[in-house]
Amino acid sequence: MAVRVNPKLIDDLEYYGAQDVIKCYHCGNCSAACPFSKEPFVFPRRSMRYLQMGLEQRLKGTLEPWLCYYCGECSEECPRGAEPGETMMSMRRWLTAQYDFTGMADIFYRSWKAELWAVLIVALLTGIGLLLYGFNWGGGNLSIYDGPQAFLPSSAIHTFDWIMGGFLLVLLYFNSLRMWYFVMKEQRVPKIKLSIYIKKLYVLFLHFFTQKRYSECERKRPWILHLVLMFSYLTMLILIMLFLRQVQDGPAIDWRVHVFGYLAAIGLITTVILAIRGRLKKTDPYHKHSHESDWMFLILLVIVSVTGVLQHVLHRVGLYAPANIMYVLHMMGVVPMLVLEVPFSKWAHLAYRTFAMYFSELEVEALKQQAKAQQPIDAARQVPQAA
Amino acid sequence: MSIQQKIGVYIYENGKEGKGIIDCRAIAEYAKGLPQVERVTLFSEPKKLNPLVLADEFKKAGFNRIVIAGESPGYFKPAFNRAMAEAGGDPDEVRIASFREHGVGLEGPTDRAKAVVACAVFGIPFGLAAIPGKVPVNPATLVIGGGVAGIQAALEIADAGYKVYLVERLGTIGGHMAMFDKTFPTLDCAACILTPKMVAVGQHPNIELIVLADVQDVTGRPGAYQVKVLKRTGRVDAKACVACNACAEICPVSVPSEFDVGIANRKAIYIPFPQAVPNTYIIDGASCTYVQSDGKKCGACLKKCAKDAIHFDAKDELIEFEVGNIIVATGYDTFDAHRLDRYGYGVLPNVLTSLEFERLTNASGPTGGKIVVKTKKLNKRTKTEEWVFDADGPKPKAVAIIHCVGSRDQNFNSYCSRVCCMYSLKFGHLVREKLPDAACYEYYIDMRAFGKGYEEFFERIKDEGVHVVRGRSARILPKGDRMIVKGEDIIHETVIELPVDMVLLAVGLQPTADAERLASMLGIERVQEGWFSEMEYNVEPTSTERGGIFVAGVCQGPKDIPDTVAQAAAVAAKALKSIVSGSIQGSRHRLTLLDIEQRAMSLAV
Repeated sequence: MAVRVNPKLIDDLEYYGAQDVIKCYHCGNCSAACPFSKEPFVFPRRSMRYLQMGLEQRLKGTLEPWLCYYCGECSEECPRGAEPGETMMSMRRWLTAQYDFTGMADIFYRSWKAELWAVLIVALLTGIGLLLYGFNWGGGNLSIYDGPQAFLPSSAIHTFDWIMGGFLLVLLYFNSLRMWYFVMKEQRVPKIKLSIYIKKLYVLFLHFFTQKRYSECERKRPWILHLVLMFSYLTMLILIMLFLRQVQDGPAIDWRVHVFGYLAAIGLITTVILAIRGRLKKTDPYHKHSHESDWMFLILLVIVSVTGVLQHVLHRVGLYAPANIMYVLHMMGVVPMLVLEVPFSKWAHLAYRTFAMYFSELEVEALKQQAKAQQPIDAARQVPQAA
Repeated sequence: MSIQQKIGVYIYENGKEGKGIIDCRAIAEYAKGLPQVERVTLFSEPKKLNPLVLADEFKKAGFNRIVIAGESPGYFKPAFNRAMAEAGGDPDEVRIASFREHGVGLEGPTDRAKAVVACAVFGIPFGLAAIPGKVPVNPATLVIGGGVAGIQAALEIADAGYKVYLVERLGTIGGHMAMFDKTFPTLDCAACILTPKMVAVGQHPNIELIVLADVQDVTGRPGAYQVKVLKRTGRVDAKACVACNACAEICPVSVPSEFDVGIANRKAIYIPFPQAVPNTYIIDGASCTYVQSDGKKCGACLKKCAKDAIHFDAKDELIEFEVGNIIVATGYDTFDAHRLDRYGYGVLPNVLTSLEFERLTNASGPTGGKIVVKTKKLNKRTKTEEWVFDADGPKPKAVAIIHCVGSRDQNFNSYCSRVCCMYSLKFGHLVREKLPDAACYEYYIDMRAFGKGYEEFFERIKDEGVHVVRGRSARILPKGDRMIVKGEDIIHETVIELPVDMVLLAVGLQPTADAERLASMLGIERVQEGWFSEMEYNVEPTSTERGGIFVAGVCQGPKDIPDTVAQAAAVAAKALKSIVSGSIQGSRHRLTLLDIEQRAMSLAV
């Protein structure tokens, strides 16, 4: 198969954060240092090679960057300072942009200004929309926060949430489908039977909920923090999607619902503060390099958490009008964060990483079956050798 | 410079200059004042050097000579050459003013840089313009370091009939080469080549051998250096001692042997190795019970010595003499493998450094040259179990050799140590020769078999059944009695985990611990990595900026034995030239900017 070379690829990756790929001299230290690097997925060196050679088509279909959790072991040991860990991170950004059929991810990763503008515009639209809705079709009275007469009734927000969720799912679905096509159809991987797809379906859930592979890194702390962050988010998501009315009822605190919210808020804020501190201090290898998109993500998280907590507190102490305003501000953070980050930026990894784990297991399984089928032939062919 | 010249000067600032080492702005100001210099440009972004843009600049200004100045400006020459050709000029008129090559970094670095720029502007090689005046020379020579370089240089000069003082830090000359088993690629026995030379040094009437000694101070000028050498006492009279070994037999103290790099023990009174020169026993004061107890305990050797050669009251002495030339041949230290904990050196018993393996496989080593793995033995005195080499111990079934340990790694030494590939191949040969049933794996990044017969040697050891694996191993993990070597085979793109019994770490070379002290004492420069600087990289690889002080061997930069010997002989020729002619070039760094500038100008006219 002819392979087309894109000599500009390595320069292109600089926009996504990979600055030092060119320094790599292929000693293989990184691949051997990585606890996950096993056949058929030997990384990160192979991807570094493909980058240096400009093999864009092959990189598009590689799963390897998604199998890396960036513990930073490889970057620390790299004798050339080629930053293989950061290269993997940049490749994930690049792949996110490749999978995205709208082209938005590509624009956002290349220009933080474009991303900022998009965030501001979406935030503004959200704010205006909510105010218009509140005054015209909602409660109309800024000083009522809860109940059916509320300025922003929870039933309306609930509907809006479900529409937004559906929109995001559709985007992620199409992008993941593209990922599947690049990985499974364009590459020369063994043909995978439907039975394997079904047999390995459990992998999706296992990795999504436990991030089992992350726990296999030599450093355990990032895995625990990530798990706390993820479960906090998941809790919030469930509360908002299914129990929004109970969450917003009040001002008395309903401990059966709110205790989950409090725990999730604590988990969120703690992990976000730790991540920001890590990125500022740069002591851990995985925090040494921060792309603009990483900061955008963290800042949005801070805004969302702080406004979320504040609107809750204001509501409970009886300041309904400020609580409503804070709520609008909160939504002005939440909507751009979800609408832009989930399909087009860092958050997309919730789908791609999970699918990558699934696809990689499929490939391993298919190769195993292939080897089994070939074994009798090989054994017959082989000349007996002395051990 | 008969034709009207229009000269453009480009000075590359790489940031290092800003830190007070070289002041590029001052150089630019100076260059502007030089005759026929039209314009001086400072640049710091090599990425922005577009030959076509440069060509436009040249054309507009009408430059017919370009000077590129900077730390190593040769890097930019291709771009400027092309620009000059595009502009219709003569690419040969792109002149280089390399600060690094011409010893900028010494006293008055900015002045030296100015002089280098001036020479380039006048179109005169710096070496032609900056020639120091001549001074009379003392015919005696001091050689610091008694390794193969020092031995070779001392013998060449002494054979020509001139006095040589050879100062060695340890109790015997021979250096690292005396520890080796074989030399590559000829597989000659290292000791068989070296020991006759060592004996020749010991017996030479023109060589005054001072062992156990450190050069304390060097003063004076080129051609007449006053040297102070502190000779530490070995507490044994060299004239009386017949090396009968009776003292060592009775000595109760046992400590790790320096010569065997710790894989075997010696006594407190010892001879480094049987062929040591001078062949005299030494008492190591730090481990000797008698010395440590101020004569209250032990003293067994004193009673045993039939020749009354042992004098515990002997004192260190300060020796002073004058020499005309000084040859620095202080060699190297090996990289400390403890710094790389992922290879488990010091934790896993059978991870050895290259020097340890040299001693192990050497016929005069602790196992008589048998390659065995360490076995656990009870030390009767300390009642602890220790890993030791036992000649009857089990043989390794698989040996891994890991190249580039501490070399070509920006976390440690970023340079290539130059000898490791070849000695590792030699190890591969020795393993396969002595243990034909053992598998041997070489993990390498790039195979640097660059010398005469080296590539052929590489091919030969591959034929001998040594497996070469392209890719550096990243981990050595214990697994039962054996070890797992984990590395990527980058050609087959697989991570392989091989079980082995012994791992050899091809540690790199690095400057000796006291190189800094020596450099400041002698007034010579060191490069960033710590090796001594030569005067000119290409044409004066043995001289230093200081007149009458020369460098030979690895202390100037990593090199193998043939190159070391060649450089030592070259140094001897340099010294002899000055002795025979009766005069020597003074120090170049004593020249003022005005001297060099005027000379360059007169040459140009």
